[in-house]
Amino acid sequence: MNILEISDLTVRFGGLTAVNSVSLDIPAKEIVSVIGPNGAGKTTLFNAITGIYDPTNGRICFNGEEARRPFRWTTALTLALVGLIAGLSLVLIVNVEPLWDTAITSNYTYQQTFLWSNAVSAASNYFGELPIQRFVVPFLIGGLVGLAGALAIWHRTRRAPEVAARAGIARTFQNIRLFNQMTALDNVLLGMDSQLRTSVWHAALRLPLYWRERDEAVQRAMDILRFVDLDRDANQLAENLSYGHQRRLEIARALAMQPRLLLLDEPAAGMNPAEAQELMKLIHDIRDRGITVLLIEHHMQVVMGISDHIAVLDHGEKIAEGNPEAVRSNPKVIEAYLGKES
Amino acid sequence: MPAPRRILFHWSFLIVAALIPLIELVLPGHPRIGDLLRPIFIMAMLGLGLNILTGFTGQLNLGVAAFMAVGAYSYAILTCDIYPFRLGFWSATALTVLVGLTVGLFLGLPTIRLRGDYLAIVTLGFGEIVEDVLKNLDSITKGTQGINPLPGPSWFGYHFHAETYQPWYYLFLGFLAVLVLLNRNLQRSRVGRAWISIREDELASSCMGVNPMKMKLLAFALGAAQCSLAGALWASYLGSSGEPGNYDFQVSIIALCIVIVGGMGNVGGVLLGALVIMGFNSIVLETVTNFLKAHQLISSSNVFTAPGNWKYMLYGLALILMMRFRPEGLLPSRQFKAEVHPNEPHSPPTS
Repeated sequence: MNILEISDLTVRFGGLTAVNSVSLDIPAKEIVSVIGPNGAGKTTLFNAITGIYDPTNGRICFNGEEARRPFRWTTALTLALVGLIAGLSLVLIVNVEPLWDTAITSNYTYQQTFLWSNAVSAASNYFGELPIQRFVVPFLIGGLVGLAGALAIWHRTRRAPEVAARAGIARTFQNIRLFNQMTALDNVLLGMDSQLRTSVWHAALRLPLYWRERDEAVQRAMDILRFVDLDRDANQLAENLSYGHQRRLEIARALAMQPRLLLLDEPAAGMNPAEAQELMKLIHDIRDRGITVLLIEHHMQVVMGISDHIAVLDHGEKIAEGNPEAVRSNPKVIEAYLGKES
Repeated sequence: MPAPRRILFHWSFLIVAALIPLIELVLPGHPRIGDLLRPIFIMAMLGLGLNILTGFTGQLNLGVAAFMAVGAYSYAILTCDIYPFRLGFWSATALTVLVGLTVGLFLGLPTIRLRGDYLAIVTLGFGEIVEDVLKNLDSITKGTQGINPLPGPSWFGYHFHAETYQPWYYLFLGFLAVLVLLNRNLQRSRVGRAWISIREDELASSCMGVNPMKMKLLAFALGAAQCSLAGALWASYLGSSGEPGNYDFQVSIIALCIVIVGGMGNVGGVLLGALVIMGFNSIVLETVTNFLKAHQLISSSNVFTAPGNWKYMLYGLALILMMRFRPEGLLPSRQFKAEVHPNEPHSPPTS
């Protein structure tokens, strides 16, 4: 069964085609590598999968469906509500002073009792006699601007990174992007964010749910840190960790999301052979937990050592695919890496 | 649980603060320290509101004075008896906080996708717009006069007077203590973690499943609510909404200085920042001026010799020196040490 199906994916930036109709199926619970020379479009592919870039063309199906916000009736209702509120606000802003005068000031004498019913009826009279340019026009302008703005924001965040993340796709970055001013433990706890149910009220007032959930979360986070062998550094700020530890912490943070698919963008970059060996073992362990791993890597020793399946990109196009042996002997791949024999 | 010593350390601050009105009775000359501390408490609340936005979430806001103005004017309109509402202190304050929350959302929604400098410019404009609206909406805000007089708060039949400052002092101290507690609770929870992660790296944060728009809106709403609470208390203390010019750009900048000097993203730092910046203004400058006057070292005819007139110059100098030598602030946000020590076996909570 395929966990991720990329069909005919194209990502274009202006005139530059970074990924050109690439189709790729990722079978579940396997380790799949994407390799290729620099600038082949590997990271762009990752960014499209995780919702950072919108594909120009093509589909990315995760678990059989596209990872994007569904359009439900609540969405339509929210959009309509935003438009309505914006329109009514503009009407109110345009009319605020005369409305205040008729409803409040003229019905109130200093320190006498104030009858709300008079104010309400005065206000409704005011709106009843309102000329069209002070009611319908501002309502339409405000409503349209509000609706258009809300629609634009909804549309642009439809395929947002957090949507892909909540669907179960976790990733690490080519240039490490940890939260430097947070401890290692907090970095991992942040990865769990989508599984926590503590709301602002629970947190601000420290209701029982907060304590219960915090204890569970810290315990799980420590388990994950132990899994990547970082439990002794739990209280260190992320920026104070060594490079190799930062790489592992990034993987731990991604694992904390309990993903079904883990994207690793050059995890072995800058590692010595011994560290690379450790990393390979770690990736194997992750796969054995039932998580599909998709990785970009230049370290051929790592790629050939752990991949079940390899896809080769060059100039944004997929030029080869198959098991390590087949890819290694593929003439197109050799040409892409070493150039053509003349 | 934080270490018991840490709790003791924090409580000792509160106890010392609570004892100040008593201590000054013993000191020679009966200095009114508590009286001078009241505006500092208000500015500390404003700083805490800004700290949520700028310190935790990293959204630069140059218009917090507008939130304060909204709070002060809502409170004034709700309590002053030239308007029909005439609410009491507590219900008016609660409503004011709600108004602040709404205004924060209204500013947050259209600016949701702005970052950095662009957001700063929009909030700067928002501050100016609010000030101009208050000046020109004569029939509601009484233009440049401000709304007054406002009735003082009352507590179980006791009415606060302008002459005795001690009840005010404890009222503000209580509000400040509650705000500090709520802010710290938020900081050390999932919410605070998400805010700080957005400040550190918004893209990475969203790739971890945090919805940045939602968290930023929440920061806007809660920050604005705190600032408008500061405004409401300020208005009740002045007995007037103050004039619109009281909530100008300078106030926003002072609030920002408080957060920067104290230490971005650290609740304790904001309190220290308020004490340093406002204390410098109302205590140090005042004392120096009085001292110089008493010894006839300055004349009132020469404006250049009055230290008070050098105030903003000195602020500027202090900021430059801070940025050069201690850019992280006086009390930088020391990342909260994780409460579980990795070497100790973790014991599940007994339920």
